[in-house]
Amino acid sequence: MDTVPVLFLTGLVVGYFVLAGCDIGLGMLMPYLARTPTERRRLVSAAAPYFLGTEVWLVGAVGVVAGLFPELKSALFGGLWPVFSVLLAAWLLRDAGLWFRARIDTDSWRRACDALIVGGSWVLALSWGAVLAGLIAGGAAPSVFTVACTLAVAALFLLRGAAFGAERLVPAEAGEAASADDAGRLTRVLARVALGAAAVTAVAAVLPGAAAIERPLALAAAALVPAAALAATAGLSGPRLSRHTSAVAIGSAPLLAAAAQALPLDGPPAGVLALAGIAIVPLVPLMAVGQVGLYRMLRRPAADTGFFASPPAPALPPRRRAVPDPAIRG
Amino acid sequence: MLDDPLVLARLQFALTAATHYMFVAFTLGLAPYILVTQFIAVLRRDAARMRAVRFWGGLYLVNYAMGILSGLVMELQLGLNWSGLNEMFGYVFGAPLAVETMAAFFVESTFLGLWIFGWDRMGRWAHWACFLVVTGTAYLSAYWVLVANGVLKWPDGFRIEGGEAVLEDPMALVANPSAVMAFWHVASTALLVGGAVVAAVSAYHLARRNDPDRMFHRGVRAGTVMLILGVMPTVITGGTQFSLFGKEPPTAGLTYTADEIEAIEKASDSSVATAFGAAGDMVMMSAWAMISLAAGLLALVWLLRGLSKWRWFLHPVVFLPLLPYAASIGGWVFRETNRQPWVVRGHLTTADAMTDLSPAMALASFSFFTVAFAVLGGATLWLLARFARRGPEGGPLAPAPAEEAEPAPVRTF
Repeated sequence: MDTVPVLFLTGLVVGYFVLAGCDIGLGMLMPYLARTPTERRRLVSAAAPYFLGTEVWLVGAVGVVAGLFPELKSALFGGLWPVFSVLLAAWLLRDAGLWFRARIDTDSWRRACDALIVGGSWVLALSWGAVLAGLIAGGAAPSVFTVACTLAVAALFLLRGAAFGAERLVPAEAGEAASADDAGRLTRVLARVALGAAAVTAVAAVLPGAAAIERPLALAAAALVPAAALAATAGLSGPRLSRHTSAVAIGSAPLLAAAAQALPLDGPPAGVLALAGIAIVPLVPLMAVGQVGLYRMLRRPAADTGFFASPPAPALPPRRRAVPDPAIRG
Repeated sequence: MLDDPLVLARLQFALTAATHYMFVAFTLGLAPYILVTQFIAVLRRDAARMRAVRFWGGLYLVNYAMGILSGLVMELQLGLNWSGLNEMFGYVFGAPLAVETMAAFFVESTFLGLWIFGWDRMGRWAHWACFLVVTGTAYLSAYWVLVANGVLKWPDGFRIEGGEAVLEDPMALVANPSAVMAFWHVASTALLVGGAVVAAVSAYHLARRNDPDRMFHRGVRAGTVMLILGVMPTVITGGTQFSLFGKEPPTAGLTYTADEIEAIEKASDSSVATAFGAAGDMVMMSAWAMISLAAGLLALVWLLRGLSKWRWFLHPVVFLPLLPYAASIGGWVFRETNRQPWVVRGHLTTADAMTDLSPAMALASFSFFTVAFAVLGGATLWLLARFARRGPEGGPLAPAPAEEAEPAPVRTF
């Protein structure tokens, strides 16, 4: 039954990239897509509800790797310690920006939080690129391949964010939808950029001594999937297809690492599997209901206000009222 | 000191865990109060109580943010800096954490999102049920984390094969006495933290004669009840844990012989850890004594009908949360320093569990995360105090006021 935990982990990782690609990519595109305070508030209010529901996929994946695939964990964290440390730092700061942004109503506070969101999203996407490059190449040593692969993955995040923005940045009330239109137009450009970066990566991979790929043929075959998805998005009807093609492209990225290298994916011993199964399986319906419910509720265009995009709040009440309130009794 | 990676990594983890627990304790303590308040509000269709839920829920969310941020750093840090633990106890220590992330945190965070964004969009019972799931999974999360922690202190349920722990008896793992007793201890101390916070925030507003919907009149009473309910279980569940002291855990001798264990314990200099542990123990015990005194005084003033009126009494109540927070951190310092020099008692020393980091790497990681946590934790505490003082008007979950006219968007290209 080794396949069940592997499939479970694959589902979590692919789910993370497909779903979190939306809010990470949109965060990266913030300086371009949202130029006025209203647009920025709408963008955060579009992305922020997602990150709460999407990052749990990664936390779950890390937990499953730790509990069910300790050898994989050693392989991942051992070779890529610096990359994962940077990734963790970026994740922390980006989340902090998203959580804190609506809490204080001053421009400088919002600018600081926006800087954390944009910078954190970029470093996070580039770190994921470096992680995948390191896994595919069998080591994190900098090379033409590592750089090209990192940039290609970052382009996939951007594309996913643009496709998401084209839907979610439409204002709730009728009116100008400049951000959404920009995002829609951007999908075709980004798909071409990503395709170009992927081609450079492929060339770099066959350069002598660039990457120690264990299974080049499997990798090449697997790489056809994101390449086809990007090619479809790059065409004239690209923006219309981008919602699904961007998901295929970014979702298949982590699978390329599994295709290229024989990762230590031996399943856990029966006792561990039984414990995890008994404890997790009964709650799977709840996970599904929660996730589906959350994304269904967020399907409509983002509201301009809410927990992550509060309107200006009134000032603090006076510290002490002069007249005691007669309504208070002992 | 700063050139020893081991000291840095230990200090870093201690700071991460302590920061994390401060926010976790608030979550665990406030969740039951919000759950009950919302239940009554929904049952009676009471709009006033629902406004109170918005107020306390806003504080809950501001606090929860920092709980998540520190929690995910803690999870990743275990893997990055303590790979020895993963190599030897990967399955035994990691399996409960895997269950925690999937079956507890995943569900908790998702349903908290539903609770935030489902406000006014869901049926009132469905909306309450979301918070029921949030509360239940928050406690489930605490339980599974303590199962992982319990293995460190009272290793049981596995055998050692080729230097690796192999899970043999899952029941012994999940029923580990060190984990189960610690869970009930954490649950009862969470009542103290929650009760003290609710009472203190209520007292702040009552002292200023600010009591919209009488929510703080009810709050200070609910806080008092929670404190009274928590005081005795805290000391009982804490005291029973001493029964494991001085006993050999069931797996003793599987990795090292008794003589080797004694030699390792003698060779290690744990004087600093012991000193910290003794200080933590003292803080915990004296804070508990003061909390029980405060709970008694609150009850007495309630009987004398002064609980919403007597300013001289309400002013010091505002500082009450310092006590259970100090006790919680002190208790954790006591628990975790107590098993040094071992990370898993009798099996793996803390020094052997650490990843082989260069001093520069350890210093970089330590500096960044310590500074980031100080800033983020400080900002969260400041925000909490700010929203608590502001009251129900303009909190993070306050209903949006009527849209005001916004300046026409000017796009700059």
